[in-house]
Amino acid sequence: MAPNGDGSIGSSLHGVTAREQVFSFSVEDGPSSQAIRSDDPTAMFPIPVDSEHRAKVFKPLSFAKPHMRAFHLGWISFFTCFISTFAAAPLVPVIRDNLDLTKTDIGNAGVASVSGAIFSRLAMGAVCDLLGARYGTAFSLLLSAPAVFSMSFVSDAGSYLAVRFMIGFCLATFVSCQYWTSVMFTGKIIGLVNGCAGGWGDMGGGVTQLLMPMVYHVIKLAGATPFTAWRFAFFIPGFLQIIMGILVLTLGQDLPDGNLSTLQKSGQVSKDKFSKVFWFAVKNYRTWILFVLYGFSMGVELTINNVISGYFYDRFHLTLHTAGIIAASFGMANFFARPFGGYASDVAARLFGMRGRLWTLWILQTVGALFCIWLGRASSLPIAILAMMLFSIGTQAACGALFGVAPFVSRRSLGLISGLTGAGGNFGSGVTQLLFFSSSRFSTAEGLSLMGVMAVVCTLPVAFIHFPQWGSMFLRPSQHEERSKEEHYYGGEWTEEEKSLGLHEGSIKFAENSRSERGRKAMLADIPTPETGTPAHV
Amino acid sequence: MAIHKIFFASLLICLLFQISHGATKERLFSDLEKGALEVTATPSREGVLDAGIDKLSITWKLSSTATKEAEFTTIKVKLCYAPVSQVDRPWRKTENELFKDKSCPHKIITRPYDKSPQSFEYTLERDIPTGTYFVRAYAVDAKGHEVAFGQSTDEAKSTKLFSVQAISGRHKSLDIASVCFSVFSVLALLVFFVNEKRKAKIEQSK
Repeated sequence: MAPNGDGSIGSSLHGVTAREQVFSFSVEDGPSSQAIRSDDPTAMFPIPVDSEHRAKVFKPLSFAKPHMRAFHLGWISFFTCFISTFAAAPLVPVIRDNLDLTKTDIGNAGVASVSGAIFSRLAMGAVCDLLGARYGTAFSLLLSAPAVFSMSFVSDAGSYLAVRFMIGFCLATFVSCQYWTSVMFTGKIIGLVNGCAGGWGDMGGGVTQLLMPMVYHVIKLAGATPFTAWRFAFFIPGFLQIIMGILVLTLGQDLPDGNLSTLQKSGQVSKDKFSKVFWFAVKNYRTWILFVLYGFSMGVELTINNVISGYFYDRFHLTLHTAGIIAASFGMANFFARPFGGYASDVAARLFGMRGRLWTLWILQTVGALFCIWLGRASSLPIAILAMMLFSIGTQAACGALFGVAPFVSRRSLGLISGLTGAGGNFGSGVTQLLFFSSSRFSTAEGLSLMGVMAVVCTLPVAFIHFPQWGSMFLRPSQHEERSKEEHYYGGEWTEEEKSLGLHEGSIKFAENSRSERGRKAMLADIPTPETGTPAHV
Repeated sequence: MAIHKIFFASLLICLLFQISHGATKERLFSDLEKGALEVTATPSREGVLDAGIDKLSITWKLSSTATKEAEFTTIKVKLCYAPVSQVDRPWRKTENELFKDKSCPHKIITRPYDKSPQSFEYTLERDIPTGTYFVRAYAVDAKGHEVAFGQSTDEAKSTKLFSVQAISGRHKSLDIASVCFSVFSVLALLVFFVNEKRKAKIEQSK
């Protein structure tokens, strides 16, 4: 079997000759140990990797393949989709005149814009598990681009709602992006990496509040009437999606070792059954708690993206331009707020293990929600802006901290759990928009405060997330011999039959690497690898 | 620490702006002299008018009941929403405070005040939304403050209203471009997908 040229997709020599070790040792830090093992496949990567070939360091300024390239392609794709989904929000004052919309129409379209993603995020989890993150991202970008372009056909409230609903499907890139980084980066830094990818992507919701009015203005200057200019403005997000879709397919790689279809065909990655993946995701109660939690951190953020510009415009009598800048600041805070949440989660894990991650999540989300209550009650502009900025930092950091926890809930169903959690975000946004912002029952200010109260209440369930091997917010880890091992938790997702076929080896490797979640005290005690772990070297 | 100082300084400046602005903003619509001008607005044809095409013939003259005529410097003529076009649309709400009032956003013409009757042929702009309208003329003094007004409808805003149908904003060229790019997008995905499946099959058969 002649090897292909170095570096091209599917050309990794890993496992091809069947004489190499399929699972290599954990690579020690430092160049000397790598230099000694000249046949060690992990030495082929430009940055240090663990035994699963996931990167151990995060270098945001690098585009090295496969890890950093996947990171950049992932977050920029997600960023583009956020731009498209919320592109209508800053142009609503023009659109509502063109299409003769009422407040109810606008509110319903806002709900529709986030509802489509509930289903697409669920589906995306499965697509990533089965087809790989690259195709997941590309499907999302290239199949929803037609919806963005079709804004040029919209002529009334009904078609406007339908198009916003279909554009909203592309928010599924969130799941593929988080999945992609979770398979490319190791557990110790996953909070920070996921936080950066998610946060920089979410920034799109802020950037669009500045970008779309600017594009609209330029098109008007070129001679178009307002009612044509806004339609043409939507071509920009459409183009961005097509460009990113093609870049992802040509430059990206599913897994550190190659693309999924190639690895599956050469037998290195076994194809899993969708029904099993689905069952283990749904059966795990932690998935549903994360579903609710994310609904009131990301859900609140999505709702704010839709209503905040109008709120400042109406309540404080600002110009559209000024209201847009304030609205953009909310979204732009994501640049550092969400990575900060992920980083805080990682630091807490280093000191206190998973318990630290859970406490960090609860604190950040509750503080954010309290500032949301304050925002609704603020009656002067400077106080409202201050409350909004603190609220944005708290809530967005909570989003980052949550995805420091999510990768550990399951290894087998990682994609689907990312999908379900992501869907929870959109579900929460739909619910809050429907309850508080679509009718004249509450003023927008009252709606904001009530949403904050609901968020505080719905953050309490995080206390119930318990890992036998690591503990929970109020309970210590299990002292039971078997249950206190990570291998038991992750091995529990496979039946005995599947274990005898060796299908669970990936989960066992993950379990080893996740021992870092025990916190500093436990790490100091030397725990030998259990017998059921890595097979002895050949 | 420098960041904190800048932050609080800017907050303070914003606060000061608020206070200074508030002082001049309490001029009310109810204080204006009603019916100081007699305004008529006659559509160029029957039925719903088309924006960008149809015209309004607008005339205004001083009413015999006007008292503040000495202050009139400029006349601002505007297109205003009738109540039926304001339902469930809080961005078109009528407010008593003049700076908050959003019911007359479309400017028709501004002319210096002239004692003799004035008229103007107004072609409906292409950015006028679909709705029901009337015409109002504000008399403005030398300081730029409104002092009186007249409108083409009665006080309840129920008579002599006219309807406008907005342009759709759609264009054939836009539609065609949209379809082309959409097709390209889906095709690109299919081509890549099929190509890679083919390559993987070739790999496997080797």
